Amino acid sequence: MGQDLLPPLLSAPGVETWAFYILTTLSICLAIAVLADRVVIRSGFILIGVFGTISGIFLLLSAQFLALAQIMIYAVGITLMVVIALMLTNPRLEREQAVVYYDESLPPLAKIFASCKRNLSLWVSVLSFVTLYSALIGENHWPLSDQAVSPDAVKVLGEALVTNYSIPFEFSSVLLLAALMGAVMLAKGESKNRDDDNVAIVDEAKKQENNLALQR
Amino acid sequence: MQNVVTVKEPQSSVNLALGYALFAAAVVGSYAGVLFTPTGIERIFTNHYDFWACLGLALAGWIVRSVGGHKGVIVTMTVLASFIILTLHQPMLLRYLTFAALLFSMGLYGMVQSRNAVRVLLSIELMLNAVNINLIAFSRYVDPVALKGQLFVIFVLTVAAAEAAVGLAVVLAIYRSRQTVDMDKFTLLKW
Amino acid sequence: MFANGDEIFKISRLTLAWLTIIFTIVWMVCWGVGIGLPMLLSQQLGDQANLANEILRAVTPVIAILVFIPINAMFMVLIERRALALWTVRKGPNRVGPDGNLQTAADAVKLLLKEDITPTGADAAMHTFAPILFFAPSIIGAVPLLAAVTNDHPLFHILNLPTGIFYVLAAGALPVVALVMAGWASNNKYSLVGGLRSAAQAISYEIPLVLSLVTVCLMAGTLDLVKIAQQQAGGILNWNLLGGGALVGLNQALGGGGAKALEAAYPMGPVSYICAGLLVCSLIISFWLYLTGACAEINRIPFDLPEAESELVSGYNTEYSGMKFAIFFLAEFTNLFVVASVTTVMFLGGGDNPIPPYILDKIPGIPQMVAAIRDSFFCQTLHIINPETLFATLWVIAKVYGLVIFAILIRATLPRFRIDQLMAFGWKRLIPLSLIVFIIVVFAREFVNIHG
Repeated sequence: MGQDLLPPLLSAPGVETWAFYILTTLSICLAIAVLADRVVIRSGFILIGVFGTISGIFLLLSAQFLALAQIMIYAVGITLMVVIALMLTNPRLEREQAVVYYDESLPPLAKIFASCKRNLSLWVSVLSFVTLYSALIGENHWPLSDQAVSPDAVKVLGEALVTNYSIPFEFSSVLLLAALMGAVMLAKGESKNRDDDNVAIVDEAKKQENNLALQR
Repeated sequence: MQNVVTVKEPQSSVNLALGYALFAAAVVGSYAGVLFTPTGIERIFTNHYDFWACLGLALAGWIVRSVGGHKGVIVTMTVLASFIILTLHQPMLLRYLTFAALLFSMGLYGMVQSRNAVRVLLSIELMLNAVNINLIAFSRYVDPVALKGQLFVIFVLTVAAAEAAVGLAVVLAIYRSRQTVDMDKFTLLKW
Repeated sequence: MFANGDEIFKISRLTLAWLTIIFTIVWMVCWGVGIGLPMLLSQQLGDQANLANEILRAVTPVIAILVFIPINAMFMVLIERRALALWTVRKGPNRVGPDGNLQTAADAVKLLLKEDITPTGADAAMHTFAPILFFAPSIIGAVPLLAAVTNDHPLFHILNLPTGIFYVLAAGALPVVALVMAGWASNNKYSLVGGLRSAAQAISYEIPLVLSLVTVCLMAGTLDLVKIAQQQAGGILNWNLLGGGALVGLNQALGGGGAKALEAAYPMGPVSYICAGLLVCSLIISFWLYLTGACAEINRIPFDLPEAESELVSGYNTEYSGMKFAIFFLAEFTNLFVVASVTTVMFLGGGDNPIPPYILDKIPGIPQMVAAIRDSFFCQTLHIINPETLFATLWVIAKVYGLVIFAILIRATLPRFRIDQLMAFGWKRLIPLSLIVFIIVVFAREFVNIHG
């Protein structure tokens, strides 16, 4: 964990492999659970686990700063927002129904085609994985470097951000500001109309109260 | 539309078999790239293990499914086993890249398949994370001094945060006007 | 004159006795695992024991934290109840044991023996997992602090991270998710509202909290907790609370550097003096910003809306009982302790003595005392006492528990916010203030030669 402990531990034979397989196994299982869980809010919580294991993989790649940023931004910030949005848009906390349209009257071959059509997204994703994997296998001659990542990587990153990459850095800050304002505007939305509605409701309630009082 | 009925679980073993066949074809296809490298042909003839192992997995999965195993468990086990088979004898960089590719395709599947708009956003976050893993793996193994990959990950994180905020605000706005977040119901612009 | 003089006496006695017991136990365990046992093993086995010794040294910090957290929480609950009783002029716990001092032990036993209930319709897995996710980060977050508060003691050196403070912040952000999870998984509307409130509150107050710490890191030029603590050595004028190093020149001048040291530290004359004054003001403001943000982050009382018992029965932990509730309870007090330690390391000089060395050396008896301790049997042969660490640790304990007692005083004094007041206070007051402080520090530090 410490700066003295991690590199020699990782350079020991097999340790990185074992850590990699444990983390990826967890990560893949949790990612499948995120996609497959019928309760959307629960899948939002499971997403935290996926991000946590991915941050572990960042640690394996000796990107300490980004592993922590991953936990702070993804696992807490974004997931929390997602979960709250889910709770707001799914007030009755119901499960998603597995609706499958299945035509009984088709001939067998047409049935197969229909089922392929239903699962088109599965084929698309499998094909995308296959394409990526074959591209990786075919392109396997990158100029690998034997150097270790410098221990003060944070300093390198910080210097690059304010020298070579200062314009993208500034633009990202503008983007964040714009996104902040845009999100507030969008989420606030039609507050005026809703206030009018509330006023109308309150007026109606007052009228009813008056009527009741008059009746008495 | 009268004939269309809703059933609990369709008979999908044919479908699953097709999937495995496609997967096997994919493994074969992955060799197409190897063919053009100098030692490619020898590699195909000496290293058959991953092809046969994936085919065996496909068969095993199909058998377990037709006997009546749980779908999620089978899918998880198959994905995991094929991932391990595909990466076990690769160099470290390629393992990370393969993992990122797998995560990316899973995110793609979720993005296309999900009907809940928030789950679509969630899958997009998964895909962005896969991209981040790619960038960091390259910066670790190809460019460990200047760390340009990590820099780009910082920008990706920023953009992802902005995207999540705006995306969720849009979803909330849509929910307020339509009372639903079902992607199939947002058909106002469909012709 | 003191209407409740004997209450104050009782509290002081209790604090001293408990702190002595806690830290003696923890240090004996650490010494036994990290130094004593390896020494014994090397004597018996020679070189064969090296691997075992390495493992023992590596697990020492974890064992230290695991031993420390439960006893410390028990002590903090007791001191909180007693101090609240003192400040609200009541009688505190006074039934179990002498003066009621065994009350928390009895409470702990009660909680452990209670039945563990999962409510109907609750998501059982999430309901079980939430307390764990709430408790684990407070342990993980306490880990890099250990090296900083013990003045980089060799036993705890392996825990020192180059990105220490960022690590603590990341660990401190995780419990919020656990609270939302607990609220949702309980299948109870009060719990859900409590969880959502805690999320909103934590997200809003994390911004001033992080900005105030970023200000300190900007002055220190590093994220490493040990380096930040060591930079502040040499008396109260060097502490980050007073200008984050802006007064180092003044300190050197007073310590014998004279006008030359002043000239070196404040090269631009009056402009530099004004900027140093600005830095002192901004860092004091950031200290209060950090305390406020941290209070909100760990749901202490002016901000304890997630568990406001007059509005929501008990907030997110309404549906928890037995062991799971005990974990929530434990984690809350551990978080308070972690926050106090972070404040100590970042603002109050870590294990530094507030009296500068040039005054301390003139007091008769103190150098001789340090030398006597250094030459003693305990220090030389058994390594039980390490003089650098000993005094640093004593100061850290004093500062941390001072802050804890201050938090209890706030709890006894201030009423609870309303939710809209809380949000308005966070977004309209604290965040602009922290941004202004940050910008002032960015510009003012250019005119002062910080940390020599």
